[in-house]
Amino acid sequence: MSILTIQQLSKNYGSLKALKEVSFSVPEGTVFGILGPNGSGKTTLLSIVMDILKATSGSFVWMGQENSADLRKQIGTLLETPNFYHYLSAQENLRIAARIKGRGEADIQKVLELVNLYQRKGSKFSSFSLGMKQRLAIASTLLGDPKILVFDEPTNGLDPAGIAEIRELIKTLNKNGKTIIMASHILDEVEKVCTHVAIIQQGVLKTVGSVSSVMHQSADSILEKILVELSANDLVALQHILTEMGGIENMVEAEHELHITCSSEITAEQINQFCFSRGIILNKLLVKRKTLEARFLEITGKQSDK
Amino acid sequence: MGELLKIEWLKIRRYTAFIVMSLFFIVAVIATNYIVFSVNNNMANNMGNAISMMSFSPYSFENTWQTTSYATGFILLLPALLLVMLVTNEYTFKTHRQNIIDGLSRQQFISVKIMLALVFAVVSTLLVFVTALCFGWASGTNFSLHGIQFVGFFFLKAITYNLIAILIAVLIKRTGFATGVFFIYLGGENFIAKMLDLWSIKLKQDNGTDYGSLGDYLPMNAADGLLSFPKNPVTNMAMNFMPTDYIWAILPLALVYLLVFYTWARRKFIHADL
Repeated sequence: MSILTIQQLSKNYGSLKALKEVSFSVPEGTVFGILGPNGSGKTTLLSIVMDILKATSGSFVWMGQENSADLRKQIGTLLETPNFYHYLSAQENLRIAARIKGRGEADIQKVLELVNLYQRKGSKFSSFSLGMKQRLAIASTLLGDPKILVFDEPTNGLDPAGIAEIRELIKTLNKNGKTIIMASHILDEVEKVCTHVAIIQQGVLKTVGSVSSVMHQSADSILEKILVELSANDLVALQHILTEMGGIENMVEAEHELHITCSSEITAEQINQFCFSRGIILNKLLVKRKTLEARFLEITGKQSDK
Repeated sequence: MGELLKIEWLKIRRYTAFIVMSLFFIVAVIATNYIVFSVNNNMANNMGNAISMMSFSPYSFENTWQTTSYATGFILLLPALLLVMLVTNEYTFKTHRQNIIDGLSRQQFISVKIMLALVFAVVSTLLVFVTALCFGWASGTNFSLHGIQFVGFFFLKAITYNLIAILIAVLIKRTGFATGVFFIYLGGENFIAKMLDLWSIKLKQDNGTDYGSLGDYLPMNAADGLLSFPKNPVTNMAMNFMPTDYIWAILPLALVYLLVFYTWARRKFIHADL
C-alpha cells in the first residue's frame, strides 16, 4: 500500500519554479528519504503535503484519501525548525499539540520520557538549547503514536550523540511498523537510515526508488566504482592533470578538494604516483566505496552540502 | 468550537502581554468613566445650577449606558492591539503552521481567532454593562434601561475594531509592522473622517444638504458613528448646524463592513501560503 502518492506536483513562486511536476509514491513501512541540496524543494514538497503551502498544480493523496485535518492528526510531522510558543513550558506546548490531536496527558509524559526531556517538562521553551528544542519537536511528532512520521532535517542542531540517538529512534520506529518520510541534505544520514530515496534537485525529481536500486541505476555496476576525495595546494593544476588520467568518469569540485568517481581498478597508489609524476603533491587522498553520496553527485552533477 | 477555544486559552493564559493588557483594560475602563463621572460631579458642585448645562448628569440611568459605551469606546484599541499581537505571534513563532500540521484545519484556525475576537468583544461589552450599572447606581437615579441599545452599539464597535485587528494581523503578519499599520490606518481614517465631517457641516450650512456626518460612512468610523455622547444642553445648541446621525444608514453599513473584514481575513488565511 502506498502511504503517500504525489502526482505532477508543481509549485511556482512568481517566475521561480520551486517544484516541477514531481511524482512518486511512498510505500508503507519504509524509511523514505527525500534527498537534495539546500533549496532543492524538499521542504516545499513536505509543506504542500502538510497543507502549509498551496500547490500550483498537481495532486497528492495520503493512504488513498484527500488531505484533511483529521488525516493530519494521524501523522507526526516536524517541518523545518521546531515551532512552539516561546513563553510556554515544554509540557504546556505539548498539551496544545495533544489537544489538537485529541490526545491526553498520558501521551505527553510518555513522549517526554522518550526524548529524555521529562525532567525539563516545566522549563520554558525559550530556555531550551537548539538540541532540546529539536528533541521536543520530535516528542511532539510522536504524540498519539502516529503510523506515519514526517521529518524535515530531524538532526538539525543536534550534537553527534543526539544525532546517533535520533537515527536509532527512527530505525526503531520503523521496526515498529511506522512509515517515515525524511527530508535531508545530509547524504550520510539518509544512507544510514533510509530504505528508499527520492533525489530532488532544483525542484526536479532526479530519481526515486529503494536505496539499492538507486545505487544500481548507475550505468556500471556499483562494485566497479570507487569515489576518491583528493586535494592539493594547487587545485586547478590537480584538476587539469586528472583530466589526462584514464579511468576517471566524473569529477566535481568540492570545498578545497576534488571528488572523482572512477573504476575500482584504479588504486590510491596509482593516483598518487600519477599526480606526483606531474609535480602535484597531494595533501588528501581518500578512497571510498561507491556510496549514495557518489550516486547523488553523479545524478546532480554538483557538490552536496555535507 | 468549545474545544478550540480551550486550546486558545492554553495558548494565551500565560502570555504576559495578555495578562498585563487585560488588567490594564479593566482599570482603564473604570478609570475613564470615573474621570468623566468625577469631572461632571465637581463641575456641578462648584457651579451649582448657575449654568443649565450642569443639570445634565451623564451617568444618570437615563444616560449611563450611552455615556459608558461612548467613553469606553476610546480604549477599545487595547483589546484590538492585543489581538494583533496574539495573531502575529503565531506567524512569528510559526505556530500557526504547527497547529495546521498537528491537525487543525485552516478554517478552524482562523475561525477560532475570529471567535476570540468575538469573546474579547463580549467581555468588553459585559465590562461596559457592569461599569454603566455601577456608575448609574452611584448617580443616585432610578434604574432604567433607557439607551441600553448603545451597549449593543458598543459591542458592534468592539467587534469591528477586533476584526480589523485580525485582518491587519493576517495581512501583515509581523507584530511591529501590523501594530504600526493598525495605528496608521486608525489615524488616517480618523483624519479623513474629520475632514469629511467638516465638509458635511459646510454642506449643511451652505446648501442645507444633510447627508449625515460623511466620516461615519468609513469602515472604522461607521461603528464609531453609532456611539455619541448623550444629548445635553451643549450638543443641543450645536444641533442646528451639525449633520444628523442617520443610524438607520450607519448601522447596516457597519454590519456590511464587519462582514467584509470577516470574509477577507478568512479567505486570506484559508487560501494563502502559510
